[in-house]
Amino acid sequence: MEGGIKAWNGMVATGTFEAGMAFFAPATDIREIVAVAWSMEEGSRRFYQRAGELLRSDPETVEIFRQLTEAEDAHKHSLLASYEHLTGRRADPTICIQKMGMAEEGIMEGGIPVKEALVWLQDREITEILDLAMGLEINAYDLYLKMGRRMEAEESGRIFAELAREEQHHLERLGQLLDSRL
Amino acid sequence: MTFLDFFKPVPSMSADAVRRFLAENSPDSYNLIDVRQPKEYERGHLPGAQLIPLPDLNGRLNEIDRNKPTIVY
Repeated sequence: MEGGIKAWNGMVATGTFEAGMAFFAPATDIREIVAVAWSMEEGSRRFYQRAGELLRSDPETVEIFRQLTEAEDAHKHSLLASYEHLTGRRADPTICIQKMGMAEEGIMEGGIPVKEALVWLQDREITEILDLAMGLEINAYDLYLKMGRRMEAEESGRIFAELAREEQHHLERLGQLLDSRL
Repeated sequence: MTFLDFFKPVPSMSADAVRRFLAENSPDSYNLIDVRQPKEYERGHLPGAQLIPLPDLNGRLNEIDRNKPTIVY
């Protein structure tokens, strides 16, 4: 690419190559990988839900956060459906997460602890929240692209590729909203 | 790699062309390689980029799928 990263006038993901993938390191099979991804989606859902509650005075932002909350819920469902399709068994990610010792942490897609993010949300400007949300989504996009390539099984790779596509779409929505607020 | 490989033409793409390429192609249809140092990658990288620092590239060529186009920065 001409000019290298300096010529790239667009969003970048941050963190070491393994940063996000480290959350998946304790997972030993597709069941646990799906459970970790599911818990990240749940973390992001809680974040967007709370952000929507705090920004009640801005109907357009509330609507986008409502849609993102629903999208994260849809991701959770599609993860469970993929798991059931792959294994022929019903999935219970909460039990799996507890067994892996990750239940208490509660992390969002970018690896940020949910508790810390919810505290951070208090008294923030809309643009600050949108900035964080975009950082969250770009790192999730980066993570899912890399996980998709790393997965040896074609079907599990496809799960992450689909999640990556969705995160890219979220980024575009958030970017448009942020542009309109600057 | 032989001496003659240095003279093989390598097409370059502008950042805008890369942006369009990434938007129009499935992530599993290309290699996107960041050849900078790990600290530089950590500060900011193109989403989905694989980190292979230039000094390591020769020993890690097997990680790059030769059947797919490769974008390097």
